[in-house]
Parts: sequence; C-alpha cells; structure tokens
Amino acid sequence: MLDVDFYDARVVEGTTTSIFLDNGKVEDISVDFSRGAGVRALCGGSWGLTSVDGNFDLDKTIDSAAKLAKTMNNKTPKEKINLKSSPEPVVKNTPNVKKNPRDIPIEEKVQFLKDIDESANIEGVSNTTAIYTESIVKYEYTNSEGLDCEHELTRTGFAVSAVASGNGEYQVGRESRFDVSGFELFDENDALALGESAGQTAVDLLSAKKPKGGNMPVILNPELAGVFVHEAVGHASEADLVLEGNSVFENRIGEQIASSLVDVIDDPTLHKYGYYPFDAEGVQSSKTEIIKDGVLNSYLHSRETAAKLGGTPGNSRAQGYSEPVVRMSNTYIDNGESKFEEMLEEIGDGIYLIGSRGGQVNPGEGIFQFNAEKGYLIENGEISSLLRDVSLSGNTLEILKNVTMVGNDLEMNSGRCGKKGQLMPVSDGSPHILVSNALVGGA
Amino acid sequence: MYEMANKALKLAEDKGAEESEVYVLDNHSTSADVRKNIVDSSNENYTKGIGIRAIINGAVGFASTNLYNRLEDTVNIAISSARVREKDPEWVSLPSNTQYPTIRNTFDDKLVQLELEDCIDLTTQMIEGVTSTSDVMATSGSFSRFHDKRLIMNSNGIETEEEGTGVSGFIDVITTTDDKATAYDFKISRNLDLDFYEIGKNAAELAQKSRNGINIEPHKTDVILHPFAFADILENTLASAIDADNVHKGRSSLKGKINEEIATPDFSIVDDGTLDGGIETALTDDEGMPSQKNTVIDKGVFKSYLYDSYRAGKDNVESTGNAIRQSYTGTPSIGLRNFIIDYPQSDVISETDEGVYINTVIGAHTANSISGDFSVEARNAFTIKNGELDKPISSLMISGNVFDLLKNITGAGYDIRSVGGLVTPSIRITDMNVIG
Repeated sequence: MLDVDFYDARVVEGTTTSIFLDNGKVEDISVDFSRGAGVRALCGGSWGLTSVDGNFDLDKTIDSAAKLAKTMNNKTPKEKINLKSSPEPVVKNTPNVKKNPRDIPIEEKVQFLKDIDESANIEGVSNTTAIYTESIVKYEYTNSEGLDCEHELTRTGFAVSAVASGNGEYQVGRESRFDVSGFELFDENDALALGESAGQTAVDLLSAKKPKGGNMPVILNPELAGVFVHEAVGHASEADLVLEGNSVFENRIGEQIASSLVDVIDDPTLHKYGYYPFDAEGVQSSKTEIIKDGVLNSYLHSRETAAKLGGTPGNSRAQGYSEPVVRMSNTYIDNGESKFEEMLEEIGDGIYLIGSRGGQVNPGEGIFQFNAEKGYLIENGEISSLLRDVSLSGNTLEILKNVTMVGNDLEMNSGRCGKKGQLMPVSDGSPHILVSNALVGGA
Repeated sequence: MYEMANKALKLAEDKGAEESEVYVLDNHSTSADVRKNIVDSSNENYTKGIGIRAIINGAVGFASTNLYNRLEDTVNIAISSARVREKDPEWVSLPSNTQYPTIRNTFDDKLVQLELEDCIDLTTQMIEGVTSTSDVMATSGSFSRFHDKRLIMNSNGIETEEEGTGVSGFIDVITTTDDKATAYDFKISRNLDLDFYEIGKNAAELAQKSRNGINIEPHKTDVILHPFAFADILENTLASAIDADNVHKGRSSLKGKINEEIATPDFSIVDDGTLDGGIETALTDDEGMPSQKNTVIDKGVFKSYLYDSYRAGKDNVESTGNAIRQSYTGTPSIGLRNFIIDYPQSDVISETDEGVYINTVIGAHTANSISGDFSVEARNAFTIKNGELDKPISSLMISGNVFDLLKNITGAGYDIRSVGGLVTPSIRITDMNVIG
C-alpha cells in the first residue's frame, strides 16, 4: 500500500540529566525530556529516512520516508538492496538497576560529585572539573515485517579532570567511569581514589620530559591498546566502510593480518557501556570474533551489509532518531598469557605508553595517530622517567603484525564513539601489549 | 512559537524566577548521502524544541523538552535546579540590548524551495566531478541544506526571531589503483551558490597527485598549511585560549596577556558575527545579544577574549556576542563566530624555495588546548622545491606549539576559504618540526 519494499521505525523516549562542576561549584545542571522517532523506508536500492521529534504522527512520518525512498529510486535507480532475515529478538539477561537514579534526589548527586571533585584537588592542582550524566531511555522498534519489540536502558557515569600549572605550563589528568548501571556504579568504583589519581597525574606531568620521536619498541597499557583496537581495528572491520572501499580489511577475510597472538572481539551482550539486547534493526545482539589467532575472521554487520557480504547482522546502532549505522559495542583484544614484568624484560629499551587523549584513523589507508596521556621511558627492562606529549602513529597492519606479547590483564574502558555525526556509548579494552616497532611522536 | 515561549516565561516568573529565558529552535534539514560513486540515501530531519533558563540569586537552572505537554514540568525542573545551586554573586543579567546590526545574505529562499530531486542532482554533480578524473572513486560524501528558525525571548525584554539557510557539500575520495591515496574536499555557504562539480573534482585531483608518496627525514623547515589544516589547528588550540571562561578558570595561556604581542606584527584576527553571508552570521548570538565585530589580534597584539553575557559580567565588560548553543537542549557556552584571519597575501608557494605543503591534518583535536602543544598527522602533503609543489609525502607528522607558530608566520596565499566560520588563506610557518 505504501509501495515500498520495507520500512521500520525507532521510537525513542527518555530523560537525560547532567551536572557539571567547576572548581567545586555547580556550573550547569540540565535535564531534558524528549521523544522522537527515526523512520526508514527502502524502495529498490534506495533508502529514505525521516526523523521527527516532539508530538509527531508516526504514520505521516512513515509516508515521508516512503516518499523519499521512492523519489530516490526513480531519480537514481540502483541495484536492489536485500536485507538478511532476522528472527524476533528475545530480550534477556538485561542489566539490573539496583539503585534507580530517579529515586536519588538531585542534591545527593550534586554532593556526590562535589566529593569526587574535591578529591582531585590535591596540592599543585589549580583547577578541577567533574561531570555526572544519567540517561533512562526506552526504545521501541517496529517494522513492516511485523517485528515489534522494546527495551529500556539506564546508563550513569562520571568523569573528573584536574589541571596543574607551574612555570607557565599546564598539564591535565583525567579519570572516568561510565556504565549500563544505576547509581550503584558509584558504590562499585572508588570514585574518590579516581579523583585523586587524576590530580596526581596532572601534577606529575608538570615535571615530565618530552620523548625523542622515532621508531622504537613500545608497551601499550590496556586503555591505549583498547583505543587502538577500537579506532584502528574495529572501524576497519565495520562492513559499511568495507563496502565503501574505505577499509584496509577489504578482501582480507581468512588472511593472517595480525600476529597469531591477537584475538579481537566485539560483544554487545557484555554488561559494559556498549551493551544492547537488540540493535537498531531489532536484531538480537551477539558476540563477533573479528580476529581469531591473528586471522581476520569477520566484519561487523547490519542486515544490509550481512546480505551483501555474507555475515551475521546485529551491529546496527543509531543515536536518538538518527539513521542506523554499523557500529561497535564492547570491543577488545582478548587475554593472552604474558605478564607485564615479562614484557619489560623482553623490551629492554623502549617506551611504555599510557592512556589516551583521543586519536584519529584513516581506515581506508590503515593509518592512525593517537596521543597518549603519558608515558614512561623503559631502560634495561626497568621503568624510568615520566614522559608527556607522546603520540603513537603508524600503519594498522604493521602494528598488528608487530605485536610480540599479549598480557593477561584485560581491562575495559567506557567512552563515546563518533561516526557519521552520531555519538554512541561504547567500551573498549585490552590487556597490556608489546609492539616490537612503532612510530612514537614527540616534540 | 511565540505563544508557547510566552507561556513558559510567565510560568517561570510565577514560580519564583528572577530572570528567565526561552530559546526555541525549529529546524528542517535535508541531506543526501554518497556511497561508492552513487547517491545512496536521503534524509529529512525535523527538530523543534524549547530550552528554558531560570535564574534565582544568580544561579542558573536549565531544562529542555520537545513535548509541549511537558512544558510545565520542564519549567519546574529549571527552577528546582536553580535552587539546588549556590548563589552566584557574579551573575549580572541576561542580555537586554536591542540595538541589532544589519546583516545580509543569511537567507536564500531558493534553498527553502529546493526539492529532493534538485538535492539529488547537486549531489550527482559532486560525484561527476570525482569521476571526471580517472582512477578515483567517491567513497562517501554528503549534500546538505538547512532552514532554521530561532526565537529567543527573555524577561528583560529581548524578543528576537530570525530565519537562516545554509548548504554544504562534502566528498571523501580514494584512488582505485594499487597505490592507494585518499583526499577530501568540503564547501559550505548560506546561499545556493556552490559549484558542486568543483568540490568533487578538487578532491579527486588531490588524491591523484598524492599517490606514490616518498619518505622524508625528520627536520625543521618552512611549512605551508592549506586553510583546512590551519583552521583545524587554530580551532583546537587558540580558540579555547581566547574563551573568557577558560581564562577565568586558569585554563588559558593567554591569561593576563591583553595588549601583549603574541603573533608576528602583520598578523590580525577579527571575530565577526555580522560578516556578509558568513557561516556564523546572525542578528544575535544564541542568547539574544546583538552580533558584533571583535578585534582579537591586531597587528600581532592580543586585544580581546570572547564573551557571553555571564562571563562578560564577571569581567565588568559587555558581552562580545559569542554565546553559542549546540542545540536547544543545552545552555550557552562561548564559541567562535566568523573568525577571520588576515595576513598580507602573496604567491606564497612560489616564494618558498624549500619546504612542505600540507592540505589537511588528522588528530588536531588531540592537541593540548591549554598549553597549545599539538602533534598531528599530515595528509596530502607535498615537498616544495624551487617555488613549486614537488613530490607527495607518504607519511608525515608535524608538531609544535600554537603560540610559537603565531610568531613564525611569514606568508599567506591568495586562496581565502571559509572553513565553517573560520575564514583563512594558506599560511606559511617557518622552522616547523616535521617527522617523516
């Protein structure tokens, strides 16, 4: 009757709260109530998408998306898009919320944040900021194949940052915890110790040295290795980028692309920040082994890319009412067998890189650049002076092949990943890894 | 919109707000996406929502919604979050100045009337620009046009409603031969006056020229930064140093440096919310303060920080009209308007015997925004030899500090571009560290 091959709708309704402190003072409290919908329609080889918010009429929105799809298909006809079939999901094993943030008065949240902020304000720190966020969101999914499902997720978290200054220079230390969880997140993490650690990092970095740039062996800590696996490996395994010709992993399934010590996994069923019970296409979430024993095993798929390339859908995600896009969830390098001490012994001289201030990747060429929060020089197998302004750059495939040791101390970190203008909660992680040769940038 | 805004102001006043403000945004945008040389999908977005600020004892509470039936709840939350906060004796007031500037070329009815078919045609032109060069493919890209209406009302008598339009094209390309090289190009305007074919062609030619890159040794040399690269670095370093909020909080290297020489004597920057057809041009900023022209750097000398009304009150100065909101769901922060770079122009490449030309950088957002230190990966970089671009460079990092960089500027090209609101030519910097 609509004359399209397929349509679906995501109706999202939620409340988000954020509190921002600056030097112990409340700088901002904001609360948003919203409801909206993202609707897609498929006609031949063309997608039409309409998003609306507020008090909308869902049928009219579906009509609008259908009109877009039909116009596109008439104007620029292209090969018909097929969608891999998917059974109705079963929402099970969802995270338990022990302390509903709705039941905690705003005064208590503010006080809590003030305590964390204060713990970061150690001697030498000139400025602190702290942020609290909470969201309680209900997702409803329905499509023209008769699927109809819903779930609700609560996410909370906090971040604290400290600035230390001296001799006209400034340095920053940061710590954060975000999770699919209620207010109990704060009982399970020693928030005050994290605040203090952020303050200590900032103070220590003031007297840190800058490294000499060049090629050398490095050890990456779990946070930085996690950022590497997310940015450089995870994005390149997203099937939409592969189909765009924008991934170094194109045509490499079954190929040894990494050291045989490396296993890379994406698992949305883990109760970490990137958790979801079903994705933005109503597909049950499941674990994907992206790299197995160093061999590229699988891309991450939507229903469309799974039909085109062969694979399992379940990694389609959308921020709010936006278009669903192939995304990661909880992505990590799996545990190996090495101990950190063994890595130090093996490396001899090199650099130990810790934490991340973000980075960027060109997944098409497989080139990346990350700035570490800090580093240490390793001399004769021992950790020596603290380094700052250290960055790591290079070629994804070379780094993967140069992994010579994988630790047994996997840790996950939460963050938000940007792609196509949409930010999604994700987590990434790794144990410590030793890379025999990498380009370290300094000043 | 007026009725709803009025109702919210009235509610806030009744519930005890000393001052209040309503910000309503009504946006319609259309986009068409490119994937692998085809127009792949299209999007219509309708956004309409309301954000409410309530001020009690100088403390600001905020809440937002897109549901009219939650308007009263939203006002209540704004009031109660203002009450949770400490009194703020530094709060002065919301804007009340209604002397608006004259602005031009920020609304083009042709963009409002554009049909989806026309949007698809323009997107197709961009792809044709790419495929006019052999062995290059568009990997992704997008066409976008928007039309928005914004209403700002506050309890001090501000009542401003304005409409604006904009259009942009972005294309990412890759060579299809064995030696892979990528490039992108991007243009944006308030009016329907962009050459979409040209956007595609520029990106494709750049990717084509970037193949078979050579390696270079680490050294110090003259570096010319294309407007994309220069803008990217400034936005991630200097922009935060001139934000009055960062200055107050001890997060700016420019604290206490007003009237000091911070750049080479021929270098100036003006932040101008009234620029003819500027991407960030509007009658007012995002809290209703009239837009104006602010000299940031005058012939090397640092002149002014950028302010919204709250931070201006703290320093006992007038707001510079730099309150910016990302959406109706947040309170204003300080941001750049049209940020215009000025340096005497010349044929800068041909005047450079030896050096490096860099089109774009990746990783600029990882710069240390407080110290101004940056270390970025250069893309589509070329060696310069005897005043000409010579060979493409396969992999290159540049690092330095923005405040050193400002003092080492020795040239600018004729190629002024709008990179969003940042308007700049190519800029030459001497003695920059390049790591091959």
